[in-house]
Amino acid sequence: MATPIIELRHVDKHFGQLHVLKDINFSVDKGEVVVVIGPSGSGKSTLCRTINRLETIDSGEITIDGSPLPQEGKDLAALRAEVGMVFQSFNLFAHKSILENVTLGPREVKHMPAAQAEAEAMKLLERVGVAEQAHKVPAQLSGGQQQRVAIARSLAMHPKAILFDEPTSALDPEMINEVLDVMTSLAKEGMTMVVVTHEMNFARRVSNRVVFMADGMILEENTPDEFFDNPQTDRAKEFLESIKGH
Amino acid sequence: MSAPADSMSMRDALYETPGPKTKHRVLVGTIISSVAILAILALVMVRLYEQGQFSPKYWSFFGKWTTWRFLLEGFAGTMEVALMAGTIALVLGILFMLGRISKNRVVSTIFRVIINFFRGIPSLLLIYFFFLVLPGYGLKIPSFWMLALPISLTASGVLAEVFRAGVNAVPQGQVEAALSIGLTDGQVMRKIVLPQAIRYVIPSLISQLVVVVKDTSVAYVVSFPDILQNGRVLISNYDALVSVYFVVAVIYVLINYAINQASVYAARRSGTKIIARTEESPV
Repeated sequence: MATPIIELRHVDKHFGQLHVLKDINFSVDKGEVVVVIGPSGSGKSTLCRTINRLETIDSGEITIDGSPLPQEGKDLAALRAEVGMVFQSFNLFAHKSILENVTLGPREVKHMPAAQAEAEAMKLLERVGVAEQAHKVPAQLSGGQQQRVAIARSLAMHPKAILFDEPTSALDPEMINEVLDVMTSLAKEGMTMVVVTHEMNFARRVSNRVVFMADGMILEENTPDEFFDNPQTDRAKEFLESIKGH
Repeated sequence: MSAPADSMSMRDALYETPGPKTKHRVLVGTIISSVAILAILALVMVRLYEQGQFSPKYWSFFGKWTTWRFLLEGFAGTMEVALMAGTIALVLGILFMLGRISKNRVVSTIFRVIINFFRGIPSLLLIYFFFLVLPGYGLKIPSFWMLALPISLTASGVLAEVFRAGVNAVPQGQVEAALSIGLTDGQVMRKIVLPQAIRYVIPSLISQLVVVVKDTSVAYVVSFPDILQNGRVLISNYDALVSVYFVVAVIYVLINYAINQASVYAARRSGTKIIARTEESPV
């Protein structure tokens, strides 16, 4: 059995008094698409953010591809170059063009020459469908376009895995699909993905595993069909009832 | 920051479009205050006239080129010191700010003290220090530097805090995104935070330049020929106090106006480049 790409063991975290992650045990194998769902405040975003240390943990271990998560410095930066992240609020660099947003990582971190970085970036932008916007600034793009650029920006680093923290939650309904399409094609190509989302159809169609969280704990884990058709815990049943018909 | 410059000035003045009663009140207030101001101006002019301030002997020398050349030399002196002090203050301001935001507690405390010291101390005091104390230790520096250095130090304290406000205004999400692609803290600062922070605070920086220009007016302490000092020479030569100070004041105001216009231009240009900060996370 190959080592999981991402592994969390007995992870605990508090925000002051609030116990946001309670004894989390979570792992993701290479090529897996894991969707994390749950009510707001369940700790799913926090879980996602601990994986690349945007949030620290109080106790427990996090291992990426067999090595413990570095705490700081060059090692941490190197690890983050291998684990991409796509944010709910896109977080594109406002003062740089779309092309520069995508080439910044390869040029600064991998010391790629400009011409090569730009050529690869243009290919990625074409792949996510925003190649004509390459010389605009983020504010000139729609939300859906910005998020696709954000995905291209992560892909430019050739990551081992990509973390998606509610990637479509800030988008208008018409734009959600264009982003989900890109994510679906990524999944089909075998990218390891951890996706925190409310998009149940996407979870059902694309993921290998659904992890249900509430109140800082992982309550249920199952294949999508099993989870949506036969939720085991009452909390999961409640949750699925409440989002039915959306 | 995102609205174009003209609608920004509308927003300065009113929170909402005025209704008819307010418009009427504004009109009445404008008329009354205009009349009052004109009346005061007229009174001032009459008093000046009565005291003979408009007689040719106080103004005729402004017809001579030598007078204006002398004033322009003073103007050049003022601008030299102001630009040098401003440039040094900008560099020191950024350095102090970087020290202040250091994650190392000792470093950040040291720089916090430095910044507060230079922000709090009047530039005149520092100038006295350079002028009276340093020579006692055998340090003889030209009067240009005795003026430019203290002014730049006090300005750098203010600018450090201005820059820090700019840095804090850059959306945290962009910092997280930059970290998440593997940039080091230094790279994040240089490539993402500082370029945007500086563009945010350009108007504040330029108005601090106005303060620097005004600070140079204590040049007489170190006998440096700035415009005020040269004005004083003219006054003693022609015994024409009011007229000369009036002309010097107008020149200072024009310098200030030019700097403000530059600030509007710079803000407009940097505004179109950044356009708007990207959608902030609702949480």
